[in-house]
Amino acid sequence: MAENKKLLLVDDEADFRSIMGKYFSRRQIAFEMAGGCMEALDWLGRDEFDVVIMDVSMPGLDGLECMAEMQKIRSDLEIIILTGHASINAGLVGMKKGAFDYCLKPVDFDELLEKIILAREKAAARG
Amino acid sequence: MQRIISFFRNIFSSVPEQQLSPEELRIAFRKRYANFRGLLTANNNALQAMADLERVYYGGSSYRMAFIRSKVTTILVNVFKMIRNLLAMSDGRYKELETIFERIGHDIDTIIDRKPILRQGPFILPLHEVNRQERDQAGEKMANIGEVAAIPGLIVPQGFVVTSSATRHFLTPELLAEIERRLQVIVPDNLEEMYKSCGEIQQMIRDSPLPPDLEELLYVHYARLERATTPHCRVALRSSALGEDTAGVSFAGLYRTVLNVDRDSLVAAYKEIIASKYGARAISYRRKRGYRHVDIEMCVGCLVMVDALVSGVTYSLDPGEEESEVIRINATAGIAKGVVDGTTITDLYLVSREKPHAVVYREMRQDQTASALTYGQVKKLAEAALLLEQHFGQPQDIEWSFDHQGTLYILQSRPMLKSRAAEPVEDTDQAARIEEGGSPILLGGICASSGIASGPVFRVGSTESLRQFPQGAVLVLEHPLPDWAPLLSRAAAVIAEHGSEAGHLATVSREFGIPALFGLAGAMAGLGDGEVVTVNATARAIYRGRREDLLRMQTVRRDVMAGSPVQRILTDLLQHIAPLNLSDPDSPQFKSTWCETLHDITRFCHEKSVSEMFNFGQIHHFDQAAAKRLVGKVPMEWWVIDLADGFRDDVHIEDKSIRIDDIVSVPMLAIWQGISAVPWAGPPPVSVRGFGSIIFQSTMRPELDPAVASALTVKNYFLISANFCNLSVRLGYHYAMIEAYLSDLLTESYVTFRFKGGAADLRRKAVRARLLADVLQHYDFRVELNSDSLLARLKKKPLDYLKQRLQILGYLTLHARQIDMVMNSPGEVNRYRDKFLADIEAMLAGDTPPILGESGHGGE
Repeated sequence: MAENKKLLLVDDEADFRSIMGKYFSRRQIAFEMAGGCMEALDWLGRDEFDVVIMDVSMPGLDGLECMAEMQKIRSDLEIIILTGHASINAGLVGMKKGAFDYCLKPVDFDELLEKIILAREKAAARG
Repeated sequence: MQRIISFFRNIFSSVPEQQLSPEELRIAFRKRYANFRGLLTANNNALQAMADLERVYYGGSSYRMAFIRSKVTTILVNVFKMIRNLLAMSDGRYKELETIFERIGHDIDTIIDRKPILRQGPFILPLHEVNRQERDQAGEKMANIGEVAAIPGLIVPQGFVVTSSATRHFLTPELLAEIERRLQVIVPDNLEEMYKSCGEIQQMIRDSPLPPDLEELLYVHYARLERATTPHCRVALRSSALGEDTAGVSFAGLYRTVLNVDRDSLVAAYKEIIASKYGARAISYRRKRGYRHVDIEMCVGCLVMVDALVSGVTYSLDPGEEESEVIRINATAGIAKGVVDGTTITDLYLVSREKPHAVVYREMRQDQTASALTYGQVKKLAEAALLLEQHFGQPQDIEWSFDHQGTLYILQSRPMLKSRAAEPVEDTDQAARIEEGGSPILLGGICASSGIASGPVFRVGSTESLRQFPQGAVLVLEHPLPDWAPLLSRAAAVIAEHGSEAGHLATVSREFGIPALFGLAGAMAGLGDGEVVTVNATARAIYRGRREDLLRMQTVRRDVMAGSPVQRILTDLLQHIAPLNLSDPDSPQFKSTWCETLHDITRFCHEKSVSEMFNFGQIHHFDQAAAKRLVGKVPMEWWVIDLADGFRDDVHIEDKSIRIDDIVSVPMLAIWQGISAVPWAGPPPVSVRGFGSIIFQSTMRPELDPAVASALTVKNYFLISANFCNLSVRLGYHYAMIEAYLSDLLTESYVTFRFKGGAADLRRKAVRARLLADVLQHYDFRVELNSDSLLARLKKKPLDYLKQRLQILGYLTLHARQIDMVMNSPGEVNRYRDKFLADIEAMLAGDTPPILGESGHGGE
């Protein structure tokens, strides 16, 4: 895991970001957070990321649109999208558009962690 | 056979082309390995979600659209992942799977989004214009009352129906969207919150203004009623829901009825009844019985109040009396409401269905001063009940009132619900009865498909048994592999030592409704062929003999969702998800183009992913510098390449050598245990040169270029990761390959062994391959043999079992060397077979040295 780049969490809910931030810190996962798409795109230019966790429903550009923008800049990012029960179909749509995986909100931390690890394995395998 | 030949030709004739650097090889492997793991995980997730759907579908419990949606999405996403992983592993081969997936996904979306087709009609219909054909406008109850009004001799109150078209006019799309949003978040288990949310939704409806045109129309029709009866007449507003057309689903008492409504309270009462669709009980009842909110539309009947002297309920065929057929009448003074909701004590009359309808039983429970029915009234009620039964073609449940002038009004008539005779037997009764007939011979396991059945035991272990399987036998297996699916149409029940409810065979068992008990350890040993047993999969128990007492309990379980819209949706969805058409990988139909369901795609992807993993060792050749030489006292020369996590953490990447103690690859260690278990006795007597003479042998053969031979003989390679091992052994003129992936998950594990060639002539090489095939078959390998080419496979077996098999392969790889030279004598063949079996047995019994490290034997 030493070669891992950072993880980027994109979610408009400040409370959720704060909970996830604590969770990542406890597991020594280096991360940055963005409250929306523009901020997230801004981060991509400033730092090295391998995995992005992206909420699907956000004001402005939504998660899927934001993902498309990110892929234009960095094609090697592994993106895990977060969907609610109401937007569960977005999970499949996102994956068809190249997302690595999706997680249902409320998030099961163990499940998310497993997906992060797999995403990183995939990113690492690509070299 | 042609297929097998071409397969071997492909495998062995295509010499690896790609020469990769160690780092490239490692990256290529890690990429494929990550995809393989991802595919296996997705496979398990998809199968588990399929099992979840089938469990609720066949289990008779209730489920909701939200559950179906979530499971279907899980399945779709995971099948999509499997395809993506397989494409990545196979460099885009099987691309047509994407098209097939899109097509199935589209069909599934169409089914999930299916809505009732709504016809727009008038907002209000006079009762005499309503009949069964107008059900979609008037709702069930009022459509029936309209029918009754048309039956000569029967009278219903005057009235009209505010139709479903009016309801849709009243409840705007915005309001419905908000209601739907609130309904989504209701947690059924939290009653308090549910009542609160339902109260809020109902208040939203009460607060919404009635469209002026509808309000005006309502008053116009009320005025008509006034003209036809009396000014300021009071009316009763009754719910008449649409979509409650399922037999056995009553919806009784869920919605409001408002009595004694005058002109001023007309609009409020109407809204009250529309709002009652969202009462807490109504919502939970719909959820339980498989109705979406969109499936039910509320219509409102407006009937002039009957000035009731006596009212009650009649069953045209008493459900409580099984022996005799009688009409049952419950009556009370005044209006009928208390009879229906059970709050009023009533008088009971059982009346003969034959003319002149004698009262066969009477129970006066009310205050004796209150009016009971006269015989004339009883007779009139009996005649009306039989008339209604005849008209609707089945026993009826009828609400009625006599007014003070003695006129009988029919207020409602609906089909009677079935009696309780078909209710399931409680488990406690089962336990008691089991005590009487002796205790189970086997107990435990996992109920993969519920039910009880009896038959003679038939244990199967090879494909030969398929044809001998008798009709109605109890199929007993070690592993519930999909290969056995064809037997299910003939089996009474299935028992397996391993497996769970999520496997393919479990799915098919449920599909066929065959009881299946999996994961029952000791079943193969504990049950004898031909022995009659009774399998109670539900209670996870097996009994000796045919237990009639248990079999009688196998009553058809009442399905609470039967016929409901949600069940119809799931029925249609499962057609695209669950059936398995691709069960036999050796069949010519095992092609992507034959995939018709998501289950087919999972099966196909899984099978092909294993082949693709195997192909890795075939198509990727590597730079020798990548390898570390195995050192210590080890027989022959072995090189190891770590692909991922195969070495201990403290091994340095620059090291040129490695010790067996530094290896943590589980399959490599097992193979090594076999290689090092019994010292090689040296070449057979035909050669007198001892260990290493194999190289010399090759130089003696003119057809072999010595330079090539020596290059080939130099190194034997292990490609390893923690759970994976691919061992290539090229010993001059024979080639052996062992590949294994070991996992705690049964479905993921496999072991493959290939063996070909030799120094002797083809006949003797073929005899050696046959000898190896015999030994491997003895240890349950599935073997394909073509001349001197041998392919042996095992998969979906427990970890310890596979480790033992790898030991056997390790042993054989070492000890089969050079014996082809002596394979011209039957005595020698037998001698080697006996020696191999004896050595292997001793090795498996632990009568051998531990894993060879420093204390090894042999030399180079």
